[in-house]
Amino acid sequence: MGKSDTLTKTREATSLDVPWNVVVHDDPVNLMAYVTYVLMKVFGYDEKKAAILMMQVHQEGRSIVWNGRREKAEFYVHQLQSHQLKTSLEKAE
Amino acid sequence: MPTLEGGLRIDAEDDGDWQLLSGITRDAVSCDEKLSLRLGSFITDIAVIPDWLEYIVPELEETFHEHLAHLVAAISAARFEAAGGPGPLWITREDGFHWYSALNQARLALEERFVFGPSDLIDPAELPLAKRSAYLRSQFYCGIQSLLLEYVMR
Repeated sequence: MGKSDTLTKTREATSLDVPWNVVVHDDPVNLMAYVTYVLMKVFGYDEKKAAILMMQVHQEGRSIVWNGRREKAEFYVHQLQSHQLKTSLEKAE
Repeated sequence: MPTLEGGLRIDAEDDGDWQLLSGITRDAVSCDEKLSLRLGSFITDIAVIPDWLEYIVPELEETFHEHLAHLVAAISAARFEAAGGPGPLWITREDGFHWYSALNQARLALEERFVFGPSDLIDPAELPLAKRSAYLRSQFYCGIQSLLLEYVMR
């Protein structure tokens, strides 16, 4: 039992260290100007960077808009979804 | 119409206009699956889903509900003030995001129900009546959103 606990804790600690991607997905409703606005508001990106990411969402269907620790990534997913952007969280490859 | 204080004013002409405005919140809650769940439909990592369902989804639901309640109160008060006839509806700068959110909830729900797709490929005249009506409402909401983005939220 003790050994199993140790293995579980090790696995959790490792997974927390893996970088996570915050991904915004395209949808036919959200306006391009709004997506740019939200990326500027949530991440503090300048308009040029936010517009490039927005265009990637529009043209490629998705864009990795942030990458980093899981807790922060979850926070950003919450923020983006509260602005009604389809957003997911995935382990970085 | 943009105001000098950085907001918008919508002039309702008759009860039909007030009904149209009241339809925003009806459309917003017209989809069977909640928006809070639909927004995370691309989350597939099993390490993430339980936390997302437990912590984020309820907060999203509460936030979206608050925005709709704000709109209901604003429209009801303005409609009462105008006795259902001609009268203004004011959207202040502070109210801007609540309005945008409510309109977006309505458009997302209509898209989910009727699946319009990209608007540049749609000929409203070719749509069945219910879908055409929903599409025109969605376009009306979109028009207000564009004004909010241009004059209130930036």
